[in-house]
Amino acid sequence: MALEDIPRLGCGRSIDRIWGTIDRPPTAHEEQCDQCQTARTRLRRLSKATRSLRESDLHNPTMEPRPGIKNAIMDVVRAKVRRGSRILLRSADNGTTEISEQALSSLIRSAAAAIPGVHSRRCRIEIRSAAASVADEDHPTGTTGTSTNAGPRLIINLRVAAAPGIVIPRTVEALRHEISNAIPASVGIGAGTVNITVEDLYDV
Amino acid sequence: MSDQSLQGAIITSQLIASIATRTTLETPGVLRLEPTNQSFLPRLGPAALQNLRHPGSQNGTYQHDGVTATISDGTARVHLYIATDIAYTALHVAEKVQQRVRESISHTGLTPGAIDVTILAIERHHRTTIM
Amino acid sequence: MGDHGPGFEPDLDEGSIVARAQDGDLAAFEHLVLTYQYRLFRLAYRMLNDRGEAEDIVQETLTTSWRGLPMLADVDAFGGWIYRLATNKCLDLLRKRSSHAENIIDLEDMDTIAEAGCRAVSAALDPAQEAEWSAEQDGLTALLNALPPAQRACWLLREMHGRSYAEIGVTLKITPAAVRGTLARARHQIAEGMSQWR
Repeated sequence: MALEDIPRLGCGRSIDRIWGTIDRPPTAHEEQCDQCQTARTRLRRLSKATRSLRESDLHNPTMEPRPGIKNAIMDVVRAKVRRGSRILLRSADNGTTEISEQALSSLIRSAAAAIPGVHSRRCRIEIRSAAASVADEDHPTGTTGTSTNAGPRLIINLRVAAAPGIVIPRTVEALRHEISNAIPASVGIGAGTVNITVEDLYDV
Repeated sequence: MSDQSLQGAIITSQLIASIATRTTLETPGVLRLEPTNQSFLPRLGPAALQNLRHPGSQNGTYQHDGVTATISDGTARVHLYIATDIAYTALHVAEKVQQRVRESISHTGLTPGAIDVTILAIERHHRTTIM
Repeated sequence: MGDHGPGFEPDLDEGSIVARAQDGDLAAFEHLVLTYQYRLFRLAYRMLNDRGEAEDIVQETLTTSWRGLPMLADVDAFGGWIYRLATNKCLDLLRKRSSHAENIIDLEDMDTIAEAGCRAVSAALDPAQEAEWSAEQDGLTALLNALPPAQRACWLLREMHGRSYAEIGVTLKITPAAVRGTLARARHQIAEGMSQWR
């Protein structure tokens, strides 16, 4: 049987065509054709039964998984949690301090939540290489191992979805400002470069 | 606990881990220790593994949710995995943790080694939980 | 629940929730689990008629999705992708089942099933419409279970879950036109079966 093979009645009408029009009044042909009328009656009954099954499954408590399923899933997921790479904040002989990329990105999203009209999405954080920070007077190379290391230079790449109708440049600027304040306050290092990409509009 | 009561006693890595845990949790700005699924034994090398097979030995590694403590020749090293309060500066919290843990280790008579801190989460203290 | 990230906003669009879950945000992923576990269970239960197996499918699908999430290129494709994973797991299980036991329903059994549907309907002595409906639903699900698995999946995805022809086509590895044909045959077969009830 060809995959596209759609069952037809003896009169040549396809089941598909009748299904598509069962809610409309019968055509001149359908009014005359016994086969079409029978098919219409049967398909209408099927349509009603389908709707009733859909509604009842949706509200039937026995059609739900047991409550423990979500926790079982989250337990597995938590054991495989992705924290991203770790960023060294400070290194000294008597101990290092590092932060997970995930901790930083969730802090960034938390800051972004304060700005109306944007939903933050994926966030990638890179560390500016030593070579790139040579030009920075206050961040000379070779500072590892000292307790006065001013921390890494971050490059934050945040993607966001925006609400339709917002003024994007102004919103992005407010977002950048919020992030640039949140990182020094909650982490203790500079926010570095904050790149924001508006990748989508979300429905409101 | 006094220094004296620990003189001559065997300080296990488990004890160091529990002292470090308590000290960390008492530090303002720390929300909790964060369990981690990574094993750090390979990093410590075969010697540490050898020590694990002799639990009575003073040398060894103990790993528990969010803390790894290693004792090697009278020096205790600790790695802590923490979540900090968004209202605090994580780097300062970590610094305070390192300083306090170092202090509490020295009270056991062992020499504090590197105290490493990994910040795994920064969160609001009064956060809503989605069930 | 200690691993929730800060500031999870409940009115987020699904695309943003998926993007955050891709970054490893557990609260976002948990939200997706809560949203999809019911839908996937209903699909798997109607495919397999076994609560335990349907729960296994839900659990496997969602834990697998956690691993695969970072590779998902389009955040808006999450729903289609997760339905595809679950549907194919159900079809795999049914293939395994039928190779283990000879319980493939052939056309002769169709009559028996139609009769069962018939009994289910006529057993509704209570004139209350609700009871009649429930008997009709039993009859419908009996006919549904007689369809070949891929046809049943096609019908369920379209009629119970409102998935698009294009998406169902990708799931079943057939063209959207073939989805249309499969659906028509499924409807025809079920409608025929129902006509034998009275």
